[in-house]
Amino acid sequence: MKCVAVTPEKTVVDRDVKFVVVPLYDGEFGIGAGRSRVIGRLGAGEMRLTLDDDSVESWYVEGGFVEAANDTVSLLTNHVCKMKGLSVEDAENALQEALKLPSNSHELAEVKAEAIHRARAKLRAALKAQNMY
Amino acid sequence: MAKARTLDKRRKSVSNIRKMTHTMELVSTAQFRRSMARSVGFEAYVKRIARLVSKLVNVGTKIEHPLFIPHESTKKALLFILTANNGLCGGYNAGVLRAALDQFENLSKEYDEVELFVFGKRGISYLDYRGYEIARQFTEFDHNPAYENVLVLANECLTRYKTGEIDRFDVVYLRFVSISQQYPTAETLLPLSDSAIENDEEGFDTTEEQEYEFLPSPESILEEVVPDAFRLKLFKCFLEATVSEQVARMMAMKAATENADSMISELTTMYNRVRQTQITNEIIEVINGAAALQ
Repeated sequence: MKCVAVTPEKTVVDRDVKFVVVPLYDGEFGIGAGRSRVIGRLGAGEMRLTLDDDSVESWYVEGGFVEAANDTVSLLTNHVCKMKGLSVEDAENALQEALKLPSNSHELAEVKAEAIHRARAKLRAALKAQNMY
Repeated sequence: MAKARTLDKRRKSVSNIRKMTHTMELVSTAQFRRSMARSVGFEAYVKRIARLVSKLVNVGTKIEHPLFIPHESTKKALLFILTANNGLCGGYNAGVLRAALDQFENLSKEYDEVELFVFGKRGISYLDYRGYEIARQFTEFDHNPAYENVLVLANECLTRYKTGEIDRFDVVYLRFVSISQQYPTAETLLPLSDSAIENDEEGFDTTEEQEYEFLPSPESILEEVVPDAFRLKLFKCFLEATVSEQVARMMAMKAATENADSMISELTTMYNRVRQTQITNEIIEVINGAAALQ
C-alpha cells in the first residue's frame, strides 16, 4: 500500500506503508490494504504510518482531505510536517493567540472555535512528540 | 575625437556593467526555473483538488457556498497590489501599478472605501509618493512566497468577508501566460466566481467503478473545498506574480547585456581607430623630425 501527502508547495510524503491512521475532523480513521474507496475531511492532528518493517512514523497534519482508492492513500493538505519538528512553545503561543480572538458575532465565534481547536490539536501533538523524542 | 585613454576607460566601465547585467540575468534565470518548478507542483495539487470536486459533483452534490454570494452592501473593498521589491525588471512594476490605479479608481466609484494592501518596495514607494493611503505593506513576499504566509492572509480575508467587514476582494498582479506573454490583471477573488472551483471532468475516469464513501458527507467536504479553492487562487496569484517578475528581469537583463556587448564592440572599434591615428601621427612626427635633421 502507498501513502502520498501533498501540500500546494510539494509532495511531503510518498512511501510504501502497511497501515495508515489519519485524523479526520471527528476522530481517527485507520486505512489498511484492500480498503474500499473513501474520501474524508481531515482535521488537525497526528497521522501515523506503519511501515513495512513495523516501525511507526508520526506526522502532524492540519486540515484538508484524504482519499483512499486502489491501495493508495492520498492526502491533500495545507500543512504536514514531522511530529518531532513541532515546538511546544510555538503551539502554546498559537493557543494563546487563538484564545484572544474576538467572538462577538456568530461568524467570529466560529473562526475562534476553529482556531482554538487547531491550536489544541497542535499542542497535543507537540506534547506527545516531546515525550516520544 | 575622444582620446584613446578616455575611450578605454569607458569601455572598461561598460564591460563592468555588462558583467553585472549578465550575472543578474543568470540569477533571474535560475530563480525563474525554481519558481516554474513550484508552479508546476502547485498545478498538480490543483488538479487533484479538481478531481476531488468532480467526484463530489458525480454523486449529485451542488456547489453552493456563501463565498459565491455577492454582498448587497458596498461599504468596503480590499485591493491587493503585487509588485516587486527590486527594479531592473523592465516594465513589470509600471504595468502592475497602472492596472492597480485603474482598478482603484473603478472600485472607488462603486465602494465607499477601498483598503490597499501593497506588496513590494516598488509599489509601496510609488503609491506613497502619489499620496495613496496604504493600509498595510509587505516586503517579505518576493522570490519564493511561502504558502504558509499566504495562508495567513487568505484566512484573514475569508474571515473579513464572512463577517461583512469587506464586501469585495481584488488582486492586481502580472498574470503569467507564457515566457513571452504576461499581462497586468485585476482579478476579483471574493465573491468567488463559478470558475474558481475547477471540475476536472476530463481527468475523471467514468469507466472505472467510482463508488466512494464520503466521511462525513459530500456536502461537508464541499464546504471545506470552497474556502480551499479561494486560498489556492490567492496563492496562484502570488506564484504567477513571482514567475512574471523573474521573466521580466531575465528579459530586461538579457537586453541590457546585448546592448552592453554592442557598445563594447563600438567602443573597441573607436579606440583602435584613435590609437592607430595616434601611432600614425607619432610616426609622421618621427619621419618629419628625421627629415629636418638631414
